[in-house]
This record gives sequence, C-alpha cells and structure tokens, in this order.
Amino acid sequence: MATILFNSIQSEWMKTKRSAAFWLVLIGGFFIPGILTLMYMVYIKRLGAIYSAEKFWEKWLINGWESMSIFLLPMGIVLATSLIAQLEYKNNGWKQVHTTPQSLTTVFVAKYTVVLLLMLQLFVLFGLGMYLAGAIPAWYYGHIPYPKETFPWGRFIQINASFYVMALPIVALQFLLSLQFKNFMVSLGAGVGLVVASIMVLSWRYVYLVPYTYGAIHMLQLQGKMRFKSNILDIHYLALIYFIGFTLLSYILYLTKKEKG
Amino acid sequence: MYCIETTHLSHQFAPGKNILDDINLQVPTGSIYGFLGPNGAGKTTTLRLILGLLKKQKGEIRIFGQSLAQNRVAILRKLGSLIETPSLYGHLTAAENLLLLQKIYQCPKSRVPEVLELVGLPDTANKKVSQFSLGMKQRLSIAVALLNQPELLILDEPTNGLDPNGIIEMRELLKRLNQERGITILISSHLLAEIEKLVTHVGIIHKGQLLFEGTLPDLVHKQQESSRVSLVTNDNTRSLQLLQTLQPNAQQQNGKLLLPLLPPEQIAQLNRHLVQNDIDVYHLAVEKNDLESIFMELVKN
Repeated sequence: MATILFNSIQSEWMKTKRSAAFWLVLIGGFFIPGILTLMYMVYIKRLGAIYSAEKFWEKWLINGWESMSIFLLPMGIVLATSLIAQLEYKNNGWKQVHTTPQSLTTVFVAKYTVVLLLMLQLFVLFGLGMYLAGAIPAWYYGHIPYPKETFPWGRFIQINASFYVMALPIVALQFLLSLQFKNFMVSLGAGVGLVVASIMVLSWRYVYLVPYTYGAIHMLQLQGKMRFKSNILDIHYLALIYFIGFTLLSYILYLTKKEKG
Repeated sequence: MYCIETTHLSHQFAPGKNILDDINLQVPTGSIYGFLGPNGAGKTTTLRLILGLLKKQKGEIRIFGQSLAQNRVAILRKLGSLIETPSLYGHLTAAENLLLLQKIYQCPKSRVPEVLELVGLPDTANKKVSQFSLGMKQRLSIAVALLNQPELLILDEPTNGLDPNGIIEMRELLKRLNQERGITILISSHLLAEIEKLVTHVGIIHKGQLLFEGTLPDLVHKQQESSRVSLVTNDNTRSLQLLQTLQPNAQQQNGKLLLPLLPPEQIAQLNRHLVQNDIDVYHLAVEKNDLESIFMELVKN
C-alpha cells in the first residue's frame, strides 16, 4: 500500500515539472526576498544600522513575512493549488488518472500530498531567499559588518513552520474547490474573493472565524499589533481544525462525485 | 468466456431520460469487438461506465469474469484505454507522459521506447506534447494504453484526427496486437466502413438500445438476407404477373421489379421466362446492401 502511494506521489510530482504551478512557486518564493535584496543593495547605508540591531535575523524574517503574509502568500496559494488540479482538467487527465490501477483514496492522497509539498517548497524557498536577501548585500559590499549573532536556524524554522500551519486551511479549501469545479475561474474567483474579504475583516471582532486571515493575524501577533485575542483556541489549533475539516469534506466530495472524467 | 459482460445496464443523466436502456453487451475474449452507433447513441457513456468513470446506476458490469464494482483496481491493472480526446500533459514530453504512468504500473522503463516505436513515434520521446498534431497525440494515447501490456484495450473512436494512412496503420497495429498477443479489443466508432475490415464481432447501439450484437459473419448474413434481384422491363405490370407465377414474393417498387436474392440459375430461368413471353428486359441486377446500409437500416428502424 505504502509503495503504491509512494509511486503515485512520484507520478503526481512529475506532472508539476515545468507546469505553471511549478514556476509560480519558484518565482513566488523568491519574489519578496529578491525585492528586499535589490532594495538594500541600493540603499546600502541603511543596512549597517539594520545589521547591528539585536535579533537581526528574526526581525529580518518577520519583515519579509510582513510583505508576504497578508496578500501575496494567500494569493500564491490560491493560484498554485488551483493550477495543480487544473492540470487534469486542462489536459483531459482525470479520465486517465481514474483508469489507472489505484484506489480513489490513493489518487486523492497523492495529489493532495503534492499540493502540500509544493506549498512546503514555497516556504523553504522563501526562507532560503530571506537568508540570502540578508546575506548577499553584506557579501557584496565587504566593508559592511555582517550581523554578529549566529544564524538562528531553530527560530527561523519555527516562524516559517507557523506560517505554513496558518496557510493550511487555505490550501485545503482551495484544493476542495479546484477538485469540484472544472472551470478554473470558479476556484480562482472564490479564492481571490475570500482573500480580499479576509483583509476587510481583519479588524472585526470575530476575525478568528475566517481562516483566510490567519497568516495576517499571525503576522500581527508576532509584531504585537493584533487587537483581539482568540477566546476559543490558539490560532494554530484553529488553523489545524479548519484544515482537517476542509480536507475531510474535500475527500468525501471527491469520493462521491458521480463523474470521474 | 466473455472478457466484458454487461447485464441490464441502464443510465440516466436526468430523471426519466434513459441514455442507456438495458444494455447486455458480451465481448468475447480474444475478439475485436466493434461498438457502432451514430453520434449520441450512448457508446461513450457505455465505455465510461465499463471503465468506472461514471457511477453505475443500474445493471451489472463484469470484466475478466469479475465484478467491476468489487475488483476495480485489479481489473484496471490489466486494461488499457483511450476515451474520446487524448489525456496527455502538454507541458511534458512524450517520454515524460509515459514515465509518469510507468511509475504507477511499475512496468520496466524499457516499455517507454518500445511503445513509442510500436505506434510510429520513435523520434518524439523528447518532444513536448503541446507541439504534437492531433494525429500524433492520438498515437501517443494508444502508446499510453499499451504501456502496461494490457489484456484488454478499450478504445473510443481512436482514429479521430488520423489521416487515411494513419487509419490503415492503426488498423494493422490493432490486428497485430490481437493476433500476436491475444489482446481483446473493444473499439467504438460511428463509421462501420472504418472498422469492418478490423472487427470480428459487432454491437450496434442507437438511442441507448443495443440493436444488434453478433459476429461479423452474422452481420454479413443479415446483409445477404436483405439483398434483392431487381429488374426493369418494357412492361413491368405484365412482367410482375409473369414473375409471380414463379416467385410469389415478386413486387413492384419505384419503377422496378424486386425479388428476394435467388441462385444464379433461377435468375437466368426468370429472365428466359420473360423473354419467351415477348418482354424486353432492360435491366437485371443483384442489389447488394453494403454493411453500411444494414447499419443505417438498423438505426433508422
């Protein structure tokens, strides 16, 4: 069973090669770090003061997430997740997938795993990009003193992992929509609509009910700027509950779909 | 032994509107079964049900003697298919399209160049599928269907997009696969002429009902049954009276005298009888309905 699933994941992963989702993740991961690199290469004088600040790397990463978490990350997830399922609709692939000797559960899990791995890749590339964005200007202009503190790998991974958890409900709901609707515009339109709506409800008392806001909320929490506290559960748990709920719903809807290609 | 057997298979897309009505299909093992019908007859719906792409509503489907509902994965392991338009990933090369299925079937990687060679695409392994013509895509889809060395091939109008030469090549390939490897082939088409040189068995479907099922000789026999002798003379009314003394079934239709198909000696005797009674025979011929006409007749009736 595990071998079948592993082979299926490999097969699904191969489909992403050179796909629009692949390029989106690659470019999306390096977009903000790239801009920050260019910015500090130009305004080099500011860099010296920033480098010498306490907890430079953590602040540096949060600075990156500030630009990423509210709009770009949710939009990237909406697009990339929709594009993965769209690969099958666009290429008439579902009927081929569903006539291979795999259970429907294997097909669902393999495809979902690839979406989650692709998102993980986005986060890894972003983290790597942020490290490089902090380091490249110093390497390039040798006269600026490099940050003294050792690179806080643990904290870096922790912050990125937290944002990954915050992104999971969006991944799950977008995956559900893109599996259910053949028309790319439905999942994309719904995703964009929800992202825009989530920005509008950020100052609402019940903002914790809206899972698309979790990245932004987490960002505001890290900066100590979040107005309301969740009086239900920690936001990480809320994100995981939504993720599991949307995943189960998506799985049931997929299994019970009358037409499979 | 039937490779595919459906029993009382019915399907509706909307309540009260049967797309398939009590289809009892029997595809013998080792046969090339032509599944014929005009567009919208229910061919693709039947094939999609057989492949499990549509949720079965009524009836039973058995493949390799096993119930599809209970043995779907085991059955699909021994099956290759092409339904309607090709299912290929345009951003990947031909070889990559095959390799991602090779991972699932766990067949040797050497199968990839083998099947490309088999379908006449040996030099296209590294070419992106988005640059393929429809005919090339159709060939590659056949390669995909053959990758796992299936025992059963289900092909829905596989010659779509192929040029006449491509159609002949495809026909020869399918014949070879059937004869050399014993692969059972179920092939659908809306043109009898296209597959009559290929198939051993025929099923004709129209408006969701199976109108005919049997061997190709059965269909040819039906053709012979509907063949007639036709005559045109200088006096058809008198000729009819004379003919009816020897052949009571003789009748007049659209300015012609028509009789059931007779042995050549009897046709000569009828001719002699007319001439001896001072009738001038302008035209005497055996009118054979081709298989296409039989098909059209079945569909019309």
